[in-house]
Amino acid sequence: MGSWSLVSAHWSVLIGHWRLVISRWSRLTSDFCLLLMLGLLFIIFGGFAIGCAISMVVQRNPLYSAISLIGVFVSLACLYVMLAAPFIAAVQVIVYAGAIMVLVIFVIMLLNVEEEEPRPQKLRFLVPVAVLLAAILIAEAAFILSSVQMSQDDPPVSSSSVGLTSSIGTGMFTKYLLPFEITSVLLLMAIVGAMSLARRSGLVGPETRVVPGSQVLPFSLVNPERIGDLSPVETDSTAEAARLMGLDQSTPSEEK
Amino acid sequence: MEPQLSWYLALSAVLFTIGVVGVMIKRNVIAMFMCIELMLNAVNLTFVAFSSYFQDVTGQLFVFIVMTVAAAEAAVGLGIIIAIFRNRETLDVDEASVLKL
Repeated sequence: MGSWSLVSAHWSVLIGHWRLVISRWSRLTSDFCLLLMLGLLFIIFGGFAIGCAISMVVQRNPLYSAISLIGVFVSLACLYVMLAAPFIAAVQVIVYAGAIMVLVIFVIMLLNVEEEEPRPQKLRFLVPVAVLLAAILIAEAAFILSSVQMSQDDPPVSSSSVGLTSSIGTGMFTKYLLPFEITSVLLLMAIVGAMSLARRSGLVGPETRVVPGSQVLPFSLVNPERIGDLSPVETDSTAEAARLMGLDQSTPSEEK
Repeated sequence: MEPQLSWYLALSAVLFTIGVVGVMIKRNVIAMFMCIELMLNAVNLTFVAFSSYFQDVTGQLFVFIVMTVAAAEAAVGLGIIIAIFRNRETLDVDEASVLKL
């Protein structure tokens, strides 16, 4: 019996040892797989971003360019998540891919732009010049990246609080309160500017009187031959305005 | 195989350059506008990469402000584009090279 207990104790020690070795090995391999996964994800999202950006420049139809740009925004949001900045990633998707691109696509569809026709012969040299300047810019960036010595510290771990919403809010409302307020003033100016730019001015002259119960229209709207004449014309009803404009609305009433 | 800071900076430089090329070779105003947005996003990527690398939240605050500026730019820029289209019936920047009507 003593020998049996000795053998079983020996086996349990052996199994425990192997369990330790296996757990350490699996942790090593899982760390390695995580690192490999991060690199792979960077390559996937970075490649997708670059491909979408090139597609945006190459496309001739602005709508396809806009859709490619949305692809760039979404892959950049994924890269922000990899950089442990979840708040910026969410704002990127909401503000850029949500609000700004909806505005751009709305304007594209409102204006109903046709595809770009090929450039006339006079300005064709701009394309190789652009590519050459881009090559120079890339070479400069590569030179700077290769010449600056990076310290080989470990990249950030995601357990830090940098990038969370609370730390961003704390920074924004304490240390950077003045830029935040300036940003709000900037947004107010943008609202006023957009309204004054998009308003259709010149249809109603400043001397136009508004009489309750009647319509006041500029003469250029009543008579299409006199464009630019903003003198007011008062009409009592829509039917009268339509008759002045030459729209034939009396025909169905005569048929009755 | 782990992504280094220089990878993100190189990606940002490539995206910015593509934006520059787009601004130079495009003639449509809206397409140029979108290329400018792409350049802003490349700079944002640089900000976030440095912020994450140095463990400092300032870069992400600047990204937030850049996004606000981009939203204001979108509102005003698209208003300008609509005004140009209303006056000239085209979106070609070569046609609108003179600001006066």
